[in-house]
Amino acid sequence: MYFELARRNLERARARSILAVVGIVIGVMAIASIGIFGNTMKQTVLERFQDEADTILILPRYTEGYSGIDEDDVELIEKVNYIDYAIALKDERGEVEYKDNKAFINIYGVKDEDDLKKLYNVYEGSIKLKGTAVIGYRVAEDFGVEVGDKVSIEDKNFKVAGVLEEQGMKAGISPDMAVFISMDDFDNLYDQEGYSLVVIEAESIAYVDTIEESIDSLINKKDEKVEIRDFQSLIESVEESMNSMTQFLMAIAAISLLVAGVSILNIMLMSTFERTKEIGVMRAIGAFKETIVLIFLMEATILGVVGSVVGAVLSLAGGYYIISMMGFSTAYILHLSSAFYISEGFVVGTVTAIASGLYPAWRASRLEPIEALRYE
Amino acid sequence: MKVVELVDVYKIYKTEYYEVKALECVNMAVKEGEFVAIMGPSGSGKSTLLNIIGCLDKPTRGEVIINGVETSILSDRELTELRRDTIGFIFQQYNLIPTLTALENVELPMVFRGLSKAEREARARELLKIVGIEELANRMPREMSGGQQQRVAIARALANNPSILLCDEPTGNLDTRSGRQIMDILKKLNEEERVTVVLVTHDPSLADYVDRVVRIRDGKVVEDVF
Repeated sequence: MYFELARRNLERARARSILAVVGIVIGVMAIASIGIFGNTMKQTVLERFQDEADTILILPRYTEGYSGIDEDDVELIEKVNYIDYAIALKDERGEVEYKDNKAFINIYGVKDEDDLKKLYNVYEGSIKLKGTAVIGYRVAEDFGVEVGDKVSIEDKNFKVAGVLEEQGMKAGISPDMAVFISMDDFDNLYDQEGYSLVVIEAESIAYVDTIEESIDSLINKKDEKVEIRDFQSLIESVEESMNSMTQFLMAIAAISLLVAGVSILNIMLMSTFERTKEIGVMRAIGAFKETIVLIFLMEATILGVVGSVVGAVLSLAGGYYIISMMGFSTAYILHLSSAFYISEGFVVGTVTAIASGLYPAWRASRLEPIEALRYE
Repeated sequence: MKVVELVDVYKIYKTEYYEVKALECVNMAVKEGEFVAIMGPSGSGKSTLLNIIGCLDKPTRGEVIINGVETSILSDRELTELRRDTIGFIFQQYNLIPTLTALENVELPMVFRGLSKAEREARARELLKIVGIEELANRMPREMSGGQQQRVAIARALANNPSILLCDEPTGNLDTRSGRQIMDILKKLNEEERVTVVLVTHDPSLADYVDRVVRIRDGKVVEDVF
């Protein structure tokens, strides 16, 4: 009966109720769709990093005076359990020249062609390192180099055997702006003791910690010779900053919900004034103060729930619109974590409506029956 | 047995500048099964008296005893329960809840009491039959005449089997014919169901219906005629 009473009271002032619901709808939609958008952005970025999650990098500890990793240590690393592969590289910034273009670019020495094949895919030509070079996508682009052309590295000519696919950051290296040559060629060009980097791919993410511990106990036993890095902490901090950005945007969106809350407060207050006599009658014939509170809160709850349900449903459309407008993939909209933001919007919308109903409900319940009955 | 007993009841409204004695040393009692009219000119304090009997208003001084219970010591909750279970109110403006049907209006006091839907509905239909408008059960108040609305109000007042019916000018807004029908219903309830009725009116013609008239003037009982 109380529910019916609340529902009919809302219906009695239909236009007003609809406007209040619209306010909640907009607020919930803003919160949830921004949540979905932020989530999609996070998933998209994380996906890019996810390939890196099982990669471990071993670097010489320069701060302790080590400028390279010994051959012996590399062999120790290669024997550690749960490793898919470990690839030792040397690098140097070198002068690369093609026709009239000249630039300083990272030159990597690779022990084996197959190592490079494990790390990257080829875009054009093939991965061959027998007096030849494999160049990154951007190098090829910027210099206008094609497979078969000759580039000069430190005044020595190398034929380009292949161009790598464009891929951004991969295995701790940015291959797009790099040139790869064989270790023999590298040693001919530069005088470098030890390797400057070992890239390790774990069999699975679960083994990353174990591998790191083994390497640490094997090599850093006496002296802190190498630094061990992975992408977990990077991924975590990216995730964290994405989350806080989403939260911040949602907080801004929540202001619209606050406005909706104030409008509910307003219409409910008006309603208590208009229904003063009715409240007096109910109190006279046996309604407790709590009953009056209950009836009014029920009205606020109905407004909140109806508005939040509609808002939550529409937020999927809103999220889709923002995401496609910003050019992200819409694949993550129906991701489970979107449900979290939708329910967050729903809960915040409903709670706002109920909270806005609290004061009017309390006020209504405080009316003295005799005063309320006299009210005209 | 006394259903209502007032002992030295005062109701004084005080402002900074003056003091109004709405009721002054009122002593009266209503016995079970009585039909009492409180009469007096407007402003005499008769409505205030009725509100105090109905526990809607508290006396400044004095005792109000309803069904043997001294009401001044009761909490708001206990007073609400007393009104709900012991007292039935009938107002001049009917005061039905506009969003509820006739049947639902009659059910409302039983909702407050926590009765089941089936019980409420059966009882409400029975009451609507007693006041002669069972066919209007699903009408909204705005779809009914004043007389019909007042009948619904009587049925609502009877919902929780009160020991006393308090009527504030129940015929005040009705034409003579409807007013007489309402009075007939009240009389019948009083005679056949032994419901105690206290009625406030300034209409002398209603005196024919009642057992006893309490006349009040300037807040004092001036005549108590059986």
